[in-house]
Amino acid sequence: MSTSQASNLSPQSTPGRSITLRVNGESRSVECHDRQLLVEVVRDQLALKGTHVGCMNGDCGACTLELDGQIVKSCLMLAASADGGEVNTVESLGSPDELAPVQEAFWNNDGFQCGFCLPGHLFAARNLIESNDAPSDDEIREAIAGNLCRCTGYQSIVCSIRDAAASARAESPRASV
Amino acid sequence: MTETITPRFVATDDPRPESVRPELEQIRRKDGDLMLTGRGGYLDDTVLPGMLHAAILRSPYAHARIRGIDTSAAEAASGVRFVLTGAQAKDQTSPIPHYFDPALVGGRTADFRPLAVDEVIYAGEPVAAVVGVTLNDAEAAVALIEVDWEPLPFVIDAEKALEQGAPKVFDTWEDNAMIRLPFVEGNAGPIIDSAKHTLEGELRIQRYQTAPLETRGYIASWGTDGRLTLHASAQNPHPLRSHLSKTLGMPENQIRVIAPRVGGGFGHKFHGYPEEPLVALLSRAVGAPVKWLETRAECMLVGAREFIHRFKVAYDEDGKILALRDRIIADIGALGASGGWGMAFIAGMALPGPYRVKHYDVESTAVVTHKAPWNGARSYGKESAALAYERIMDLVAAELSLDPAEIRRRNFIPPEEFPYWTSMKHLDSGEYAAALDHVLKLGGYDQLREEQAQARSQNRLVGVGVGFELTPEGGDFSGTLLRGFDTSTVRMDPTGTVTVLTGVTSPGTGNETGIAQVVAAELGVSPHDVTVVQGDTDRCPYGYGNFSSRSMTVGGAAALLAARDVRATLVTAAGVLLETTPEQVRLAHGRASVVYEPDRNLSIEELTRAVFVRTLAVHGLDQAQLESTRTYAPSNVHNVPDELGRSSPYPSFPYSAHVSTVEVDRETGLVKLQNYAGVHDCGTIINPKMVEGQFLGAITMGIGGALWEELKYAPDGRLATKSFKHYLMPRANDLPWIKVGHEVTPSPFAMLGMKGVGESGVAGAIASLANAVNDALRPLGAVIDQMPLSAPNVLAAIRRAERS
Ligand code: FES
Ligand code: FES
Repeated sequence: MSTSQASNLSPQSTPGRSITLRVNGESRSVECHDRQLLVEVVRDQLALKGTHVGCMNGDCGACTLELDGQIVKSCLMLAASADGGEVNTVESLGSPDELAPVQEAFWNNDGFQCGFCLPGHLFAARNLIESNDAPSDDEIREAIAGNLCRCTGYQSIVCSIRDAAASARAESPRASV
Repeated sequence: MTETITPRFVATDDPRPESVRPELEQIRRKDGDLMLTGRGGYLDDTVLPGMLHAAILRSPYAHARIRGIDTSAAEAASGVRFVLTGAQAKDQTSPIPHYFDPALVGGRTADFRPLAVDEVIYAGEPVAAVVGVTLNDAEAAVALIEVDWEPLPFVIDAEKALEQGAPKVFDTWEDNAMIRLPFVEGNAGPIIDSAKHTLEGELRIQRYQTAPLETRGYIASWGTDGRLTLHASAQNPHPLRSHLSKTLGMPENQIRVIAPRVGGGFGHKFHGYPEEPLVALLSRAVGAPVKWLETRAECMLVGAREFIHRFKVAYDEDGKILALRDRIIADIGALGASGGWGMAFIAGMALPGPYRVKHYDVESTAVVTHKAPWNGARSYGKESAALAYERIMDLVAAELSLDPAEIRRRNFIPPEEFPYWTSMKHLDSGEYAAALDHVLKLGGYDQLREEQAQARSQNRLVGVGVGFELTPEGGDFSGTLLRGFDTSTVRMDPTGTVTVLTGVTSPGTGNETGIAQVVAAELGVSPHDVTVVQGDTDRCPYGYGNFSSRSMTVGGAAALLAARDVRATLVTAAGVLLETTPEQVRLAHGRASVVYEPDRNLSIEELTRAVFVRTLAVHGLDQAQLESTRTYAPSNVHNVPDELGRSSPYPSFPYSAHVSTVEVDRETGLVKLQNYAGVHDCGTIINPKMVEGQFLGAITMGIGGALWEELKYAPDGRLATKSFKHYLMPRANDLPWIKVGHEVTPSPFAMLGMKGVGESGVAGAIASLANAVNDALRPLGAVIDQMPLSAPNVLAAIRRAERS
């Protein structure tokens, strides 16, 4: 099985360009078409399959990644517009041997079933906790409202994020105000 | 060997092996670390060398003749490798076998091919396919195919489709009724005609689907040996292979189907779709792997669950239902070979649910229309039946000013009457009133009623809804490749690790974790040392995959039987090595030890190694096989009618009880879900966290279907709902905290007493919400019988009441 193939790259059809991205900490140059979406380049040219496609329409959040510190739905962005940017995909959050606390929390709380929606929920969780390490359930639900999950009914995701926030608090307790 | 297990446990004992009890071991989902780090390996992640991409031209018309088709511009386009039309595809195939052939139950049937030939019968039907170097190339070329269409009259409404002179979907049929299915017991007609109290009503249920987050896809590749491999996001890889072999006219053992990790199934990934053989034909033609992935808009073509019920019931002063009549119309679209239409069968069969109604006369009519075919949808028609019987309960309760909970108690089949025969169902066991009482307590029913009274005094429209569902599971349909039994292999290797190969599959629910747990418990190892292989027809025993919440109850049970065989060899060998009898050997925590003398022990690894390297070299060590394959068949299936003509294709009957509160905005019709509680009884529970996850997911799917989700057709016969912007699924901030409770009433017929989990919850949620919204509208005298309970539909009901 080869992963290097650029399946959506067809030199004849549309104008292309070379872009440079810092991807999960590594500098990568890729050829892409002007009309290619960031999610396509990440999945096809960069062979990072953890970023999923559920709708190609900005509705589901399965394609979420981090671009220049902001979480974005990568199906709504042209790859060319990310040129020079810093991309972190779900693969950057942790590895099977060394899961990030938020990943541990999702695993402990059964915060997923099929796992297809995970990129959106993991990034939204991390984002929320960075700015608010004691979120209410309502705040958690608002934070993940841009993502769809068809399997869990979200409740175990809410529990996962509660837990992840608790471990973040334990890690670095804030000075009480 | 097929084996029927008689119950080994009495209901009062905890039947689970010690180490699968949750208080003793909390186990996390298998492969969680991979899924959490983007290493899930779904269909779309599979890349084969030289892989090309397919796109499909679909009919823009609901009904039209294809007078001609010109593919020359498409063929000449850049990056295009091949274009296939319906006539060419037909020459290379036999009709696609039905997932569930209507002819088996006396229905009309039709032939389906990968691409339409002379005529299309629904908008979205595949007409031609293009293979391109990239998907963009293929899609661009699809737009260049010219078809000379002759639009024909069409019908997209089931009742109109039944009228005299309606446009026909299939020319060779007399009319559009595919089948009328009766489910009858007693003398409902005369009782209803002469009863003092009767009540009638209607329910209209929208077309909606399950919309898994991962859409369908297939990758076909042909080896130089002529062997076909199909990677498919499919729930039933073996039956898919059997059907492909028929369609393509090639030996089944020359086909390998691999179902990688599936991103949600819910019935959407049952097989019978035209794209399955289509991708194989395309790949053969171009001599390279070809991939086709369903777009979200294509996914939304697949229909389900669109029903009309017209019912009439007779009841007495106490609220007992004396007789029930229901005429059901199912709008199944243009039939197709996929597994959807059977929901029309189950919708009739599932009545009268958990209630002791001795006289009923149910007829379910499956009607074809010029809409895209159905496929299975979690709950599979049971949600339709439940909505009917649960609305009936509330309507009768309202007539008699009885509490909705009370009328259910009066009508439930009492525990002592099990097993209980009713409409093609032999109900295994149930404590229905206990589940209802549990949920009322959990949801704080009395307080909800008090709060409702207060809200009403302030003119607010608050409603409380009770819902109960009975969920026939584990279906066994003889004559089809949807069987109730399944097969698993358990294999240990010299280093003591365990591999389970099983015919059941996981659509993303995680049954592999439960299977690993029961096997590990039997062999005394950790579930982490058990690898479960599913979905590969070259590796796994022939099995029926995932449907009807059966994976643990049959795949898990078969694995447990096989593990017991392996265990027998292990304890015999351990007895020899530890100089004791096999009965004195305990396997636990990775060691074999002598009971009461735990210091005499050896590790499982030493033990399995000894079996491999020392058998026949040590006196008494003479069994070398640490592998067994077993088939488990549930024992409560009655395919052969008894002397009274009764049969039952489902062996187990989990159920659930629900209570919800809503507030309706009188001005906008918007429904706000405020409280929700559900109690579930699926018999024995192996992994409580996962059971709870299934139940919560099912409830949420039911909430979405009750309140928002709808696939709407425009008057031109085309589907208007194409994205999640129009197909509104629940999001986290739409939902309240859902309280969940469990009751455990083991099945006396099933191994370990399991009844199955997965589907149960959808139907009860829908019923509970329909009752809650109607309860909210009562002060206005408004009734809503059109689903979903969306703002426009609720507002229309309010306006209707205001006018009258
Ligand atoms: S694929 Fe990008 S939001 Fe759904
Ligand atoms: S776990 Fe399947 S979509 Fe969220």
